[in-house]
Amino acid sequence: MRNAAPSRAPKVSLRGGTPPARSPWRGGGWLAAGIGLLLLFPLSSPDAFFLDVFTTGFLLAAFAASWDVVGGVSGQITLGHALPFGTAAYACALLTSFAGWPLPLAVAAAVLLAAAVGAGIGALSARLVGPFVALLTLALGEIAHEAAVGHTFFSGPGGYAWGGEGGIPVALPWRDAPPFWSYYAALAFLCLASFGMLRFSRSGAGLILRAVAGSPITAQASGVPIARFRRLAFTVGSAFAGAAGAGFVLHVGRATANDLSLELSFQAATFAAVGGRGTIVGPVVAALVLHVLFQGLSLPPSARVLLYALTLLVTLRFFPGGVVGTARDLASRLGGKEGARPPRRRGRNRPGEGTP
Amino acid sequence: MLLDGLFAGGTYALMAAGMALILGVVKVINLSHGAFFTLGAYVAYALAERGVETPIAAAPLAAVIAFAFGVFLGKSFVNPARTHPFALPVGTLACALLFEQVAQMAWGPHPLSIGADAPWIAPGGLVIRRWGVIAFLSSAALLGGLRWVLSARPGLSLRLIAEDEEIAGSLGMDVEAIRYLTFGGACAMAAAAGALLSPSGAVTPTMGRAPLLLSLVVVIVAGMDSVAAIFLLSIGLGIFGNACAWFLSPQWSYVALLAAVCLLLSARPAGIVALAGRRD
Repeated sequence: MRNAAPSRAPKVSLRGGTPPARSPWRGGGWLAAGIGLLLLFPLSSPDAFFLDVFTTGFLLAAFAASWDVVGGVSGQITLGHALPFGTAAYACALLTSFAGWPLPLAVAAAVLLAAAVGAGIGALSARLVGPFVALLTLALGEIAHEAAVGHTFFSGPGGYAWGGEGGIPVALPWRDAPPFWSYYAALAFLCLASFGMLRFSRSGAGLILRAVAGSPITAQASGVPIARFRRLAFTVGSAFAGAAGAGFVLHVGRATANDLSLELSFQAATFAAVGGRGTIVGPVVAALVLHVLFQGLSLPPSARVLLYALTLLVTLRFFPGGVVGTARDLASRLGGKEGARPPRRRGRNRPGEGTP
Repeated sequence: MLLDGLFAGGTYALMAAGMALILGVVKVINLSHGAFFTLGAYVAYALAERGVETPIAAAPLAAVIAFAFGVFLGKSFVNPARTHPFALPVGTLACALLFEQVAQMAWGPHPLSIGADAPWIAPGGLVIRRWGVIAFLSSAALLGGLRWVLSARPGLSLRLIAEDEEIAGSLGMDVEAIRYLTFGGACAMAAAAGALLSPSGAVTPTMGRAPLLLSLVVVIVAGMDSVAAIFLLSIGLGIFGNACAWFLSPQWSYVALLAAVCLLLSARPAGIVALAGRRD
């Protein structure tokens, strides 16, 4: 643990992150209840459609949380987070069906590749300020999307062309897995991944990243190599995004250009903004609720993107802290007299970010 | 092909100038600028469907509609969220996607085309398209007008706000109002460009993305000070983009623009001077 040493120093809460020394499992009861409900859900023999919606929702929630590692904790607003997601999806599909790798090996390689892509994006964007990070990541993601749409890979066995709009199928070792298996697998993945990201965001490195996001100059003056830490955030976030992408492609069975689209990156940013940036749990919950709500209504895709955009605009305009930030604000306003949690009050007052 | 690039580039300059205006006065990057371009093109298409086939009529109408939307967006979203480093890029992108989806629901995802008139064949086999001449001349005229306005008395307040908003405020100018009016005006310029260029190609919901990137490249390279530099650079990029589309395929010009944005941002990490120097 190279980064463990600085974590002891900042005992005062940096930018409102929950201080790790105090109850890290506050609200654990609610969490357990939620997981219990989700575990019970398939046993109530629901429609296969809803099982599928939830399974996709779990993977998207992990993806949203991985956005939050980059965009929330480290404050580098990325609008190209679909790039590691789609890279892993495509790598998984190509390695299994084209190169004939065994599935576990291909998944591991895909996650590593996504992490490498993230390190690259992080290195490119580390020196940029403000909205230019968003611009650069957006451009990189769109390049990858155009390449995926335009490039046709040749297939081995069938002789027909893969790639382009149709995407690339994955060679899965199983056939027709029962839907509740993928449901439970995705739920387990979501729990593990969110736990890992939560630990990361509350570790020494996470605290330093929050400090960098709060004020890069102050962090630099305190001797933090900000470029390296931003790269680290991108690498970790992209690795988790890649894992989610690999899981997604295993569930769907096909990597398509949609996995690299601007809309997907935008969705992750929406979930994070609605849930509350920098909290990891907030984006996960927001992703689950919004995805299940919008997908469960079986709206056409364009109406869904429309609703996401509207939700985001309303959130940004009226609840800049997201659900978690607003809830904290309300809690501190209601229970403000007792003064029980004075440090947490600072949750929304990030520099340059409060209600203007 | 060269001439088409010239005409298109000259019209893109109108849009890029709007982008520069927003950057200078409102000091934000407007990712929904391309959506207003698309809006203009759809207005022209809707008019052409009803028998009004000239972009001369479509451009002012599109500009008025875009001005209304732009003022609304500027007043209700951009101004309050102006200093928020997260809300602005993501929010304007949300507006762009919102409009793309609305256009897709209203007109469908398929490319639509506006019947262009038969081109003139000049002596020597040169093909001159009528829409191109109209678009080029009207955008050149509009840009000239913009340059004159900026240098004359009414443009003084814009330049002062770009220079130092506190002084402008203390002189009794309504900085907020001027900001959202400028935002609306710049959006109107993008929509006019879209309407003027609509006969040049297919009208699709996502057609605004490439011009958005083009104007970003122009603004990053040419800066915001000189209208003439923006004009010349846009023409250059327009010709370049057309050459890419001609020799390779249309989507290559989009990729080339994206790559240009990446390269420029890596080469000039501070981005545009005006944004780098602002107080957070």
